[in-house]
Amino acid sequence: MNRSLFLGGIPKTVSRRGFLRACAIATAAMGLPMEMVPKVAQAASDPKRPSVVWLHFQECTGCSESLLRASHPDLASLILNLISLDYHETLSAAAGKQAEENLEKAIERGNYVLVVEGGIPLKDGGVYCKIGGKTAVEILKRAAEKAAAIIAIGTCAAYGGVQAAKPNPTGAVGVSEVIKDKPIINVPGCPPNPHNFLSTVLYYLTFKKLPPTDKFGRPLFAYGRKVHDHCERRPHFDEGRFAERFGDVGHRLGFCLYKVGCKGPETYSNCPVIRFNDVEVWPVSVGNGCYGCTEPNFWDTMTPFHKRLPNVKIPGGKGIQASATEIGKAALGVTAAAVAIHAGVGIAKRLATGSKSEE
Amino acid sequence: MAAYEKKYVWSVLLRLFHWTFAPSIFILIVTGLYIHWPWTNTWLEGSHQFTMAVMRWIHFIAGMLFTCAVLARLYLWFFGNKYEKVWDFLPITGRNVKNLISTLLYYAYLTDHHEERLGHNALAGTAYFFTIFLAVLQFISGLYLLYPENGFFVSLGSALFGTQQEARFIHYILNWYFAWFALVHIYIVVWNDIKNPEGLISSIFDGYKFHKKES
Repeated sequence: MNRSLFLGGIPKTVSRRGFLRACAIATAAMGLPMEMVPKVAQAASDPKRPSVVWLHFQECTGCSESLLRASHPDLASLILNLISLDYHETLSAAAGKQAEENLEKAIERGNYVLVVEGGIPLKDGGVYCKIGGKTAVEILKRAAEKAAAIIAIGTCAAYGGVQAAKPNPTGAVGVSEVIKDKPIINVPGCPPNPHNFLSTVLYYLTFKKLPPTDKFGRPLFAYGRKVHDHCERRPHFDEGRFAERFGDVGHRLGFCLYKVGCKGPETYSNCPVIRFNDVEVWPVSVGNGCYGCTEPNFWDTMTPFHKRLPNVKIPGGKGIQASATEIGKAALGVTAAAVAIHAGVGIAKRLATGSKSEE
Repeated sequence: MAAYEKKYVWSVLLRLFHWTFAPSIFILIVTGLYIHWPWTNTWLEGSHQFTMAVMRWIHFIAGMLFTCAVLARLYLWFFGNKYEKVWDFLPITGRNVKNLISTLLYYAYLTDHHEERLGHNALAGTAYFFTIFLAVLQFISGLYLLYPENGFFVSLGSALFGTQQEARFIHYILNWYFAWFALVHIYIVVWNDIKNPEGLISSIFDGYKFHKKES
């Protein structure tokens, strides 16, 4: 990889190699066979780029950030070249009235993909999030009317996110709570993996429909397996080798992070497989447990983040190796006791009879 | 009709050894073969289903019991009663070599004459000695595989077996030896129990054998 790409920001064009590589990654992430790569590439290179309207509500823009600051710039530029981004508050050159005009124009043209980032406050008429004098819920309803499909990027847009955490003072909800008559796909995460967003977009472009989802509206190709089941620290869980606290010997040896609060056993995401930032890392690989950020209401259900979660069955109670060691020690103790009794009885007998009795 | 007298042969500790050793071997063979070749379709494995983990767990626990049983038997080799001591049945004395040969001929249906022993006959004793020796190798290789980072077992295991993979190979081969031994042992014990009214099978439950009274 050309190192200057790291330093040069987002290039305007995508190299052929980078383009095919990104298509291949996305195809693999979607769980499609390699033969589909040309089809995905064809769909991605279609000059008729789909119009995208990108709305921001109650959020930190971290989802956009993680997408655009992916260390592999081809990914960001691919997404930006793949779609005609007609409205995006962070990225658009236009501001104020001009930006609002762009949004109106895009909405009037219709048939766009609506990407929503951030939660939507409903309490008190939605006054807690206003853009250009209009409430978030008004803007969303207006933009959703003519949208072909909606992608909710990030946990805020999908389920309300941090502002929906108890007591949810602004009454924040996800897109699917507001819009009921449009196909909505959730790409949750805090932030979500850019590859999963790219794959969802490419899936839509290739097949002209949204990918199959689970009960929470998440694409199965990305959120179909548990973090725990693909975790590189899983063998330590099975064996009962845990980091008991941050910085202890077990932690330094790379043992399982379950006891320091990892929520991997209850979280569905492909993080351990696809990883982040193109440098092969993800939270667990750098020593912090999974927070469960792809799950609905994770701020309520997954906290405290650094305490173990209840009701996860550890094989053998403590892990099979640890538990076998314990049972082994007990068995050894019983054996020693049995041998001691045997020897004691023998000696006592000899003392009592004063002679060598063998039988 | 010959008269028989009841003789106490197998101590409580030896019987405890036997009834720990025998079931643990059975469990170890079944779970060991599973670990070697997981025959169930475990692609659904997740936090709710730990077929492999459970099999390994049972295998390790059975292995611990196996190890303890073997250690108890090793103790009895030197401190057991006279039938349990190792020199009672090893072919290292003229009497035992003669017994070994006559037992071999007897088992091969070549002669009806054989010396009845209250303890092990020399052939059985030699086989048991060999089995315990292999059992020691088996539990050392097992502990070497179970604790690949433990300094003691690593130095002992690598000196005896070499690498983890070589130890695993020997561990696997010995697994088959114990399967074979269990079959032969049960066959010969039943055969003996039919041929001789000495109460061989019941002796491992209550410790008593029946000995033909010298007349």
